[in-house]
Amino acid sequence: MSVLEKTDRSSAPKPAAPMDKVTSSPNRKNRPERHPVKFTLLLVVSIALFLPFVALAIKGLTPASELGANSWFPTDWRWQNIPDAFNQIPYFKFAAISTFIAVVYSLLTTLSSALVGYGFARLKGPGKRALFAVLIGMMIVPQIVTLIPTYLLFSQFGLIGTYWPWVLWGTAGAPYAIFLYRQFYASFPKELEEAARLDGAGRLRTFISIFVPLSRPLMVTAFVISFNATWGDYVAPTLFLNADNTTLAVGIATGYDNAHGILLPQLLAAGSFIYILPVVILFLFAQRSYVRGFVSSGIK
Amino acid sequence: MTTLTGIRRRSIRGARRRDGLAFYGFISPWLLGTAVLTVFPLGYALYVSFTAWDGISPFKPWVGLANYAEVLSSPDTWSALSKTLLLVAIVVPATILGSLVLAIWLNEKVKGRIVFRTIIFLPAIVPAVAAALIWKVIFDKDSGSVNRVLGTFGIHPVSWVTGNNAFITLLVVMLWGIGAGIIIYLAALQTVDAEQLEAAKMDGAGALATFRHVTLPAISPILLFQTVLTLITTLQVFIPALLLAPVGVTQTVASVPVANRLYMVDVWSQFFQYSRYGYGSAMIIVFVVVILILTAIVFRIGGRSVYYAVDPDQKGDVK
Repeated sequence: MSVLEKTDRSSAPKPAAPMDKVTSSPNRKNRPERHPVKFTLLLVVSIALFLPFVALAIKGLTPASELGANSWFPTDWRWQNIPDAFNQIPYFKFAAISTFIAVVYSLLTTLSSALVGYGFARLKGPGKRALFAVLIGMMIVPQIVTLIPTYLLFSQFGLIGTYWPWVLWGTAGAPYAIFLYRQFYASFPKELEEAARLDGAGRLRTFISIFVPLSRPLMVTAFVISFNATWGDYVAPTLFLNADNTTLAVGIATGYDNAHGILLPQLLAAGSFIYILPVVILFLFAQRSYVRGFVSSGIK
Repeated sequence: MTTLTGIRRRSIRGARRRDGLAFYGFISPWLLGTAVLTVFPLGYALYVSFTAWDGISPFKPWVGLANYAEVLSSPDTWSALSKTLLLVAIVVPATILGSLVLAIWLNEKVKGRIVFRTIIFLPAIVPAVAAALIWKVIFDKDSGSVNRVLGTFGIHPVSWVTGNNAFITLLVVMLWGIGAGIIIYLAALQTVDAEQLEAAKMDGAGALATFRHVTLPAISPILLFQTVLTLITTLQVFIPALLLAPVGVTQTVASVPVANRLYMVDVWSQFFQYSRYGYGSAMIIVFVVVILILTAIVFRIGGRSVYYAVDPDQKGDVK
C-alpha cells in the first residue's frame, strides 16, 4: 500500500498538501483539535450503523432452538451453523462462480475504462463532444432497463447460462469509471505526451508506459467498485445464469429455507455474514488507494 | 504506431485523420459495447413494446400503442409510481444530506475519524441483496432483534414484512447506506481552496456562512452529480423489496406486499410472473421517460446553483 501511496503522491496533479488531510495521522503541524460534539455524534451514528452487523453475527451463531428465546445472547454459541450454512446450498461452488465472474469483469472493465477514458481525455477526433455527452447519458440509463432486453437478445444467441455476458460487459467498460479516468487523465500537461512522442513512442505505448502507472490508485478504485457491484449483483445472474450454476448472491437469497418454505434465520445470518466478508475485506485492504483514487481524479 | 518524423512531414489533414483514428481506436470498446449492449437492447425493447409478445412464441402480434394506453391508464402504474416517488423523496435527500453532514464532520480533525469513516461507509459497500437479507433476519417477527428490543418495552411482536410496515422496513434497508456518499464528498472537500477558507475566517464569517459561500459553491458540481446518480439508482430499487417479501426466502414477486410494489417490482412481475413482455417493455420505456424528466428537473434546479470553478492553472481540455 505504501508503494501506491508514493506513486500517487508524486503523480498527483493537485498539490499534495490537501491529500495528506485525508489519511495522515494528526501529529503534524496542526495540533489535534477537540470536537466533543462532533465526536459524540459520529460515535452515535457509527454505533447505530454497526449494530446490524453485530446482530447478524449473534444470530448466525444462535442454535435454532434458541431463536425465539428471550435473551440477547444464546446460552450456547453454535459454531456448527457455519458448516451447516455451507452445506445448505452449494456454497463454495457458488462462491467460486461469483469470484470468477467478478474478477474477470472487474479486470476487463478497469483496463477498458482506462483506455476509453484516455481517449476522451487526450485524443482528438470528430464527434468527440457528442460522444462524451452520450457517455454521460449512459450513466442515466437504468441498468435494469437494458438488462431485460439484453436478456432477450442474448437468449437468441445461446449466451444464457454462460459467462460470456460478463466478458462483454467488462470489455465495454463502465461509464462511471470512464468518467473518473477522463477527469484524471485530463489534468496532466500536454508536455507529458510530447516527451514520449519525441522518444518515438506510439499512442498506445505512451498510454501503457506513462499514463497507466500514474493512474494506479484510480484503477484500484475502479476495480473495487466493479468487484463489489458484480459480487453483489442479483439481477444479472438471476436472468443470465441457471439456478444450479449461479452466483452466491442468488444462492444466499434463495437457498435458506426448509422444505416447507420456512425461513432458517440462523443459517441465513451465517451464510450472509460470510458472503459479505470478501467485499468488506477488499475494501479495508484497498481503502487508502480507494479514497486516493477519488481524490486524484480531481473531481470538480 | 505513429512516429515523430512521420507526423511532422504529413499534411495537417493526414495528421488529423490519424488523430481521429486513434481516438476512435481508444474508445472503440465502449463505443461498440454501448451500441450492442445498450442502444440495441433499448431499440429492441421499444419494438417489443408495440407487440403483445409473451416471451416464448416466435410470433409477436403487433398491437400499436395499446400497451402504452394500458400503462398510462392502469391504476397499478400510478400506485407503483407514487410509492417509488415517495421512496425517492425520503431516501435521496436523506442520503445526500446525511452523507454531506457526515463528511463535513469527518473532515475535521476529530479523534478516530478514520475508524468512523470506515464504519459509516461499511453498510454502503454491503450488496443490496445482503442488506435486504440482513434486515430480514433482524426484522423477523419471531426471532428478530427489533421485536426483541420492542419486547423490553412491553410491545408485542410486530410483523415487519407485511402490510404497510413493509415499507418502513424497506426504508430502513435503504437508509442504512446513508454514508454511501462520504468518500466522494471527503474527496470533494479536499478541493476547497484553503486560502478562501482562511480569508472567510479572517473576515469573521461564521461556520455556516463559510460553508454557504465558500465550501458549498466549490463542491456543488459533485453534489449535483451525486444527487442525479442517487436519484436514478433509487428510482430503480426493487431487489430489497423483492427479497423482503414475507415467504421464506424463495421470493416470488407475487408475495411482495402492496406497500412495497414499487415500479420496478411491477415491471419484474409483468415479465416473469405474467409473461407480458410487450406490456413490460412498454412500462420500461415509460420509466425511461420518467427518469429523463426527473433528471432534467434536478439538473434544471441544481444547475442554476452549481458553480463551476475554472481553475486558471488547470491544463488539458476541461469540458
